[in-house]
Amino acid sequence: MKRLGGIFGSITFRLALAYTLIFGLSVVALFTFVFFSTTDFVVQQKEAAIEADVTGFQETFERSGVTGLIIAINRRANPGTNRDGVYLLVDSVGSTLAGNLQSWPRNAVADDIWVNFSIDGLRQADAEIADVRAKQYVIPGGQQNYMLLVGRDVRDARELRRRLVDSLNLGLAITLALGVVGGFVFSRTIMRRIEAITRTCRRIMSGDLSQRVVVSRQNDELGQLSLGINAMLDQIERLMNGMRQVSDNVAHDLRTPLTRLRSRLEGALRHTANPADRETIEGAIADADSLLATFAALLRIARAEAGSQRAFVDFDIHALIEEVVDLYSPLAEEKGLKFITQLQPGLSARGDPNLIAQALANLIDNAVKYTEQGSVAVALTTQDGRPALVVADTGPGVPEAFRGKVLERLFRLEQSRTSPGSGLGLSLVAAVAKSHGMELKLEDNLPGLRVTLQFPRQKGAASDSKAAEVKPAKPLTTNPRSGPPEPDSVTPAAAAAA
Amino acid sequence: MNAELAAAQLSERNAAADPQSERTVTAMRVLVIEDDKDAADYLVKGLRESGYTVDHAADGRDGLFLALSEPYDVMIVDRMLPGPDGLSIVESVRKSAITTPVLFLSALGDVEDRVAGLKAGGDDYLAKPFAFSELLARIEALLRRSGAAPENTFLKVGDLEMDLLAHKVLRQGKRVYLHPREFRLLEYLMRHAGQVVTRTMLLENVWEYHFDPQTNVIDVHISRLRQKIDKPFDKPILQTVRGAGYKLDPVT
Repeated sequence: MKRLGGIFGSITFRLALAYTLIFGLSVVALFTFVFFSTTDFVVQQKEAAIEADVTGFQETFERSGVTGLIIAINRRANPGTNRDGVYLLVDSVGSTLAGNLQSWPRNAVADDIWVNFSIDGLRQADAEIADVRAKQYVIPGGQQNYMLLVGRDVRDARELRRRLVDSLNLGLAITLALGVVGGFVFSRTIMRRIEAITRTCRRIMSGDLSQRVVVSRQNDELGQLSLGINAMLDQIERLMNGMRQVSDNVAHDLRTPLTRLRSRLEGALRHTANPADRETIEGAIADADSLLATFAALLRIARAEAGSQRAFVDFDIHALIEEVVDLYSPLAEEKGLKFITQLQPGLSARGDPNLIAQALANLIDNAVKYTEQGSVAVALTTQDGRPALVVADTGPGVPEAFRGKVLERLFRLEQSRTSPGSGLGLSLVAAVAKSHGMELKLEDNLPGLRVTLQFPRQKGAASDSKAAEVKPAKPLTTNPRSGPPEPDSVTPAAAAAA
Repeated sequence: MNAELAAAQLSERNAAADPQSERTVTAMRVLVIEDDKDAADYLVKGLRESGYTVDHAADGRDGLFLALSEPYDVMIVDRMLPGPDGLSIVESVRKSAITTPVLFLSALGDVEDRVAGLKAGGDDYLAKPFAFSELLARIEALLRRSGAAPENTFLKVGDLEMDLLAHKVLRQGKRVYLHPREFRLLEYLMRHAGQVVTRTMLLENVWEYHFDPQTNVIDVHISRLRQKIDKPFDKPILQTVRGAGYKLDPVT
């Protein structure tokens, strides 16, 4: 079974993938929100701690002056009491009075009164560069102003940020992986059920209207779809049967009066001796005949198109062609045309042998009719593993623009309107091709027309001709009681017994 | 046609060579089961003019009753009938061990329908519309068949002889060489010598095709056969019957 583009082309898979992408995007949005609010919160906490420190120091300074402040700062800067605090107090000339920084940081980026800077070796045990966010204050003393810097190492906020990003990446990867795997599993499950429906539909399209979609036990959407399809098929089958009934009735109701008309003419002919009258009546009979023949051909095409596979049997294509050729080759020879056959033996196919024989007969008949000189060739070959029947002539051919058109009912090329024919010969070929799933190709034979009828690939049988049951070309005889046994059409069973 | 054809058929029936000649003393009886009144009238009239005694039933019930109770030489049965249809009538007739030849008439000309008709016990199947001459030729063939001897392997019509075992044809004692298909064509004509054989009958019985060949393919085959069996000899034996078909006839 051919899957269009495999599982990746399946609509379920694409939907699952799209859903995964949307879900992934919402995960990213959520994480972004969490990321910013969390990191902001951490920074805010640090800033609040800094504010609290500063307030404390200001009170100390007001209460006990610079000396008290220096003691308080040094106590706060002690790594034992405060792990990530950064403190510095300098006097107006810039010399350090207290704190755990050597000097006023040069790389401080001033942002109003907030500064950000990096510093090396904040603590002995710490080899890393610390990221510091700090606030600077001017403390007005009596003779001179002191500069106070209070900060916090915000490395852990950065760490938090990093971890958040890591978990976002991991979460996203898991989401996508689950989405893809889930999509794969879902689409396989659903595809299998949809494929079952498609298979049934394809079988129906090839003509077997009795097929129905299997309805699963769960009454879900696909179950409903199957029920809907089956109801539709019932309806179509009813309509088709109705149409067949109607066409049969038309055949009965319209052809009967036509027959009667013809019969009356025949009767009139029987009672007429006058040669002029006889000629007129004979002409009228011929007209009635051609009318009836056209009507019959239209009915036959309609029937062939309806494609009843009940009459399908396995048959030997080679034998069938030989018999049609046997019937038609004298026609070509009579016209002075060379009749060439090139038939590969041992090819079998499944179909209605009578219809295929008629299609071939129509093709050969057309070829002979339109070819004035040269040859008519019939070939049976294998093209990409499928039997192909080719009828080629050296006649005027069919212009490319009309190749589709000539298959339509009653269409005739302008140049051939003068020659006899109803414009239904190729339509029947097209109808037979359609009902048999055959490919019909019209090509330029340079010069002439080259028609190829390619049989559909057969399940298993094509490669192993011995395994395929080959029945005689025409299992249907009008009249089993009359006629001597035909020496060249012995059934396989009879041959085995002999 | 067909006064000449009918006359020929009658004279043929009177020929002493026919083992069934006692049947010709009284006219052949034909049962026509056909619901369409005009078609039936025409059939009855045409058959009577051709020398047959005809009974007509307008529906399946009457048809079945007549078929079971009266002895006929041939029955012409329409497929679509009110009451029991053509198929079931013939099935019932065959169940009652009546072997009268049956010719189905039907607007359904499909191979499937044909096969269904023959399976039900019909002997021939003629799709409507048909030429009356076609019908007469087929009735004639059916009548002959019902009385014909089982498979002869040696056929002789006038100075034409066919040995089926040796696959040999002689005319006036001279060997005539035929292709296998020409041989079968001639064999069919010889088995129906003196009767009109239509192109459709030849197509159905010699080639076993059930379709309209569109062109005169059969004529081409006949003309080839003539080249071999008639042309080298003084008297033609294979006649063309205008508007009907061909006849192998040593009398003319």
